[in-house]
Amino acid sequence: MPDQPYLLLVIFILAAIGFALLPLGVAALWAKFFSPAKPGPDKNATYECGLVSKGDAWVQFKSEYYLYGIIFLIFDVEVIFLMPFAVAFGGLSVGAFIAMMVFILLLVEGLAWAWVKGVLTWK
Amino acid sequence: METLEEIKARIEAAVSGAQLEILANDSPSGQRSLLVDDNHALTVAMFLRNDPGLQLDYCSNVTGVDWPDKVEKIKTKVKKVVDGAEQEVEETIEKMTPGFLEAVYHLYSMSLKHGPAILRLRTENRTDKVHLPSLTPVWRGAEFQEREIFDLYGIVFDGHPDLRRILMWDGFKDHPMRKDYVEPDDYEYEPTPHAEVLEKARAHLPQPQPKEASA
Amino acid sequence: MIDEGLKSELSKQGIFTTTFNELIEWGYNKGRANSVWPLQFGLACCAIEMIAASMARYDIARFGSEVFRPSPRQADLMIVAGTVTKKMAPQVVRLYNQMPEPKYVIAMGACAISGGPFKQGYNVLKGIDRYIPVDVHIPGCPPRPEALLHALMTLQKKIEEQHLTGPQQARHLNPEAPSEFPVPEYGEHDLVPPKNEAVWQPPKQAKDDTQGNV
Repeated sequence: MPDQPYLLLVIFILAAIGFALLPLGVAALWAKFFSPAKPGPDKNATYECGLVSKGDAWVQFKSEYYLYGIIFLIFDVEVIFLMPFAVAFGGLSVGAFIAMMVFILLLVEGLAWAWVKGVLTWK
Repeated sequence: METLEEIKARIEAAVSGAQLEILANDSPSGQRSLLVDDNHALTVAMFLRNDPGLQLDYCSNVTGVDWPDKVEKIKTKVKKVVDGAEQEVEETIEKMTPGFLEAVYHLYSMSLKHGPAILRLRTENRTDKVHLPSLTPVWRGAEFQEREIFDLYGIVFDGHPDLRRILMWDGFKDHPMRKDYVEPDDYEYEPTPHAEVLEKARAHLPQPQPKEASA
Repeated sequence: MIDEGLKSELSKQGIFTTTFNELIEWGYNKGRANSVWPLQFGLACCAIEMIAASMARYDIARFGSEVFRPSPRQADLMIVAGTVTKKMAPQVVRLYNQMPEPKYVIAMGACAISGGPFKQGYNVLKGIDRYIPVDVHIPGCPPRPEALLHALMTLQKKIEEQHLTGPQQARHLNPEAPSEFPVPEYGEHDLVPPKNEAVWQPPKQAKDDTQGNV
């Protein structure tokens, strides 16, 4: 035992894995011996609120959607930074003020870029 | 708002050839309405909406009405010479009024805060000539209600942007709000106080065997 | 196997006897009965009472049924809360078909059990039990949340009385019992077929059809 310091950890890991797998195994055995599987065309169909599903479930989203998401995220973060900035505005030094203005300027540049690219118009 | 007679006179002056008729109403409300012919309905509707004195810009409600064929028995007393003597004899004449379908539009003015003015359109009969001009191009709010009338009464609105059934499914063939609609007979079992429904339900139950047959 | 008479005699003496099978059954049924997850959908005003039952005042969580699942794949119980129109009926049946076994149905309210005030109308189904097997019917228009809770307790009792084997075997454990029921189709005048004969048949004789018809 003394020359195997990690043996205890290995036992713990095995016990943890067994603890997780045992109920799953029991459930699988239960399902195998007691509850018969009853698949069917309706049950295996894609769920679409009870309607007959049309087409494939794997559809592509347009890239505009992601650009919207990214722009939203940027301004979300900006709001989080602006809040404490506004609260502590009275006691800020000129350097801190300029740093904050640079930060906002960068974001405004991003917005201007997106605007010029035509991301903000919905097609 | 102006009286219906004044409106009628102004429409007749503005829309040449429009045939209008003021329909009386015997009910306590006494709300009279304006019957418009199919060909000029759209122009008349446009006039009602755009006229600065009326500005009926809000169509609150569109309803369908089914008027089935009406057979009236009129009893008249006719003087006839029977057996040499003049006698009064009652004769019954059956007068048949063909049925039609009707769409009723209730119009209000949002800007001038008056109304309602009631507009009626009638089809020629209830079977094949059931076309009416759609007033959805004039009042956008009429779209779903005209679809509902198409669904439940079977009036076909020409010029409607999207005329489909709205309440019943697409393959449905009947028009349930018509007077002569026969609903599917699924009255297998109805414990009900309504004698009429009970009769329908009893038709499905096995009839008790008469005792003579078994004896 | 222990004799029934001896078993009750022993229980009077304070000795509890059971079999392994019964113990397994007890655990299985208790587990299922106390975590009945309903499918989250409402069709009409009864759904408001269902929502009320799930909120703090009536608190359906006391019965382990607060987990309203948005997908039929995870649901055990379908609460048909409200009017089932003929246009909606195929969707309801399909949702039932998509639920995994074991599954149960509570028909809540006058409309769901019989068509209710719209019974003689042209567009309302006269009870969802014409297409799918219903375990508990709740009358009322709408039923109060207490009625829904009572129905849930009735269902729990029903689940606890189910057996793994034998003649009283639970439906979902029988390989022969169907799990899917035919979805009605839209016909020209009515749903086709108007009812599923295998699930619902009208009573052969009107028991007391003059009731109220004085």
